[in-house]
Amino acid sequence: MGELYAIYLRHVVLMVLTLGWSRFWGRTRLRRYLWNHLSILGDRFEYRGRGRELLIGFLLAMVMLAGWAGLMWLAWVYLFHEKPFATFGMFDIFSLSVVMIGFPLAYVGHYAGLRYKLSRTRWRGIRCGLAGSAWRYGVVATFLTFANMCTVQLLTPVVTVNLARPRISNARVGTLPLAFVGSAGDVYGRYLGYYFLNIVAWLAAIAAAFAIGGSTADKFGLTSDDLLKLFTTPSLRTVLVAAAVAVGVYLLFSLLILPLRCWWQAYWFRYLVSHSRAGNVLFATAITTRQMWGFLVLNYLIVLLTLGLGWPWVMHRTLRLIAGELWLYGAPDGASVRQRTDGGSPFGEGLLDMFDVSGL
Amino acid sequence: MAPSAATPARYYDGETAQVLEVGVRPTAGELILFRPADSSIVARWPVNETAVLGDGSHEGAPPIVRRGGEARLVIEDPEQRRQLAALIPHLAALAEVPASAGRRIAALGASLAVLVAAFWGVIDYGTEYAAPWLPYSLQVKLGETVYEELVADKDECQGQRGLAAINDLANELARAAGYPHEVTVHVIDGGPVNAFTLPGGILVFYSDLFEQAKNSSQVAGVLAHEIGHVVHHHPTKGIVRAYGVDLLMKLVSGGYSDLLNTLTSGGNILLAMRNGRAFEREADATGVALLEKLGLRADGVSSFFEQMMEKEPKDAASAAGIWSSHPPTQERIEATKRPPTGRPAFSTANWKALREVCK
Repeated sequence: MGELYAIYLRHVVLMVLTLGWSRFWGRTRLRRYLWNHLSILGDRFEYRGRGRELLIGFLLAMVMLAGWAGLMWLAWVYLFHEKPFATFGMFDIFSLSVVMIGFPLAYVGHYAGLRYKLSRTRWRGIRCGLAGSAWRYGVVATFLTFANMCTVQLLTPVVTVNLARPRISNARVGTLPLAFVGSAGDVYGRYLGYYFLNIVAWLAAIAAAFAIGGSTADKFGLTSDDLLKLFTTPSLRTVLVAAAVAVGVYLLFSLLILPLRCWWQAYWFRYLVSHSRAGNVLFATAITTRQMWGFLVLNYLIVLLTLGLGWPWVMHRTLRLIAGELWLYGAPDGASVRQRTDGGSPFGEGLLDMFDVSGL
Repeated sequence: MAPSAATPARYYDGETAQVLEVGVRPTAGELILFRPADSSIVARWPVNETAVLGDGSHEGAPPIVRRGGEARLVIEDPEQRRQLAALIPHLAALAEVPASAGRRIAALGASLAVLVAAFWGVIDYGTEYAAPWLPYSLQVKLGETVYEELVADKDECQGQRGLAAINDLANELARAAGYPHEVTVHVIDGGPVNAFTLPGGILVFYSDLFEQAKNSSQVAGVLAHEIGHVVHHHPTKGIVRAYGVDLLMKLVSGGYSDLLNTLTSGGNILLAMRNGRAFEREADATGVALLEKLGLRADGVSSFFEQMMEKEPKDAASAAGIWSSHPPTQERIEATKRPPTGRPAFSTANWKALREVCK
């Protein structure tokens, strides 16, 4: 992990020095390190992307955004400006339009970014790839997410299965395609259990919060005026009280809400992995709720409490988890997996960068 | 040049996903790859066509390739790589060993700490000197854009006489402070009882403030306070600093974390609070000094604060909660207390016009 930290710190130092413009090269270096320290069947992955590809992708996305801003400006000048019904400003139109196109575009960016990363990934010298249309994925993902919001998240299994399918089934190692044979019906029962238990847990957490908060205030003889005063004259005591309350709320939610979420996520991850295959290679995992808690919650806390500097630690933990918990059965017939002739995306991840959702 | 034993390696032909365990034997001009079982030759790569992809700092085992091809040769053992690199200068990159991670982390960590401190210093103190140099036209454009946004769904008061009265006094105060540009005061119909300043010398008053004020000196006091913000370029400094902190948080977290927004908003609130309090004190002092310089009554701000305190028995800052950008009101009253001497800032007619500016 020391090596990873050294690479990461170099990246951060260069980020500050170049006001962020070095990020394309920094990300590339980090990926090179991480990819090459992960292996399957004794063969390491390779990452052969280039910083300048990411830079060009970013610039193209900026040009797109600038074009969009120009269009909105024209719409403002010719359609709305100085019209009596227009009780909104140019910024309102632009922001609203960016939110409207940003939602589907973020999905398009996710898919296109995955395609770029896979096209720069090699295993046994063979390029990986992702077929399918990113725009189609963006439309489907937007529609499903909207439908899920309208049905108070009851469609989650349908959404997750239908979004996982194109990402897995369209992925390939050379000419070897991956396959996903899951269906929403399989996971609905477990999801509904999680869904309603979650509601019960929220109600219990809120009731517990009120009970604990009320009894604590009584114990110390605090009235609502005292509490108001406490927060209007910031002092060390206020900060300590606020910190104690934050820890209390976190503990409450960790006890009641987060394990439930981790339980569902661990189940979903096991399902996802065990219903995927690559030719005669089957995948499996026995990831537990506790491990998922470490992945979802503890990793989040590490990054938060270290102001982002714990990121390499989190990445190290994540890769160790993958290496330890992703099991393969069978071996690919190497001779039948051939190199594809197409080179994949020419530029990388511009849309992802624009919406700041790129992760690694 | 011939080594005593062949180097074990994994060979990928670049056409299929087959993996071959091979031996590598360097000769004068070639790298010969062969099957150890029967010594049959797998490939012969001219040494001057070989290259190493990546380096020992990033790749766990940097692959060797033949230029123009997709085949790869991977030697897992670092010592074997070092020996091969010693024999073939072309593959020297194979022997690169990065400096100890601990030493690099210590050096980079110290550099980062220095850089962050310098960046913070530039944001915090640099804006103090740089803000006045920002092109005035840009400041006006920024201020006007924000103003348009803020008043898009509100009514602006149009009473010409009242507007002229407050604009005249505002410009007189600004000139007294040596501010070289014209300032513009807008009045918005309704509440809250408040006034604020935007970049480019744009002042915004809510008409409820005129209605709540007991006399014209109070309005003049608030106006002088806002002119204090203008002449010290507080709005521009505030925006630049907020943006700087936002950028710094993004940079130090490597641009990876979804928590950026949380951290950034936290940092911005803290900075805004600090700036806010320092700015308010500075504007209070400048406002009162300007009124005194022009021989006008300067007790308006303190009496206005007292009046606000009476209306709201708790400290007025409580209304804004813990993150209030204003220093405790009692402290500001004490700091701005002046005797009720000097001539009134507005004539009786102008004061009347100002109170009716929205009618």
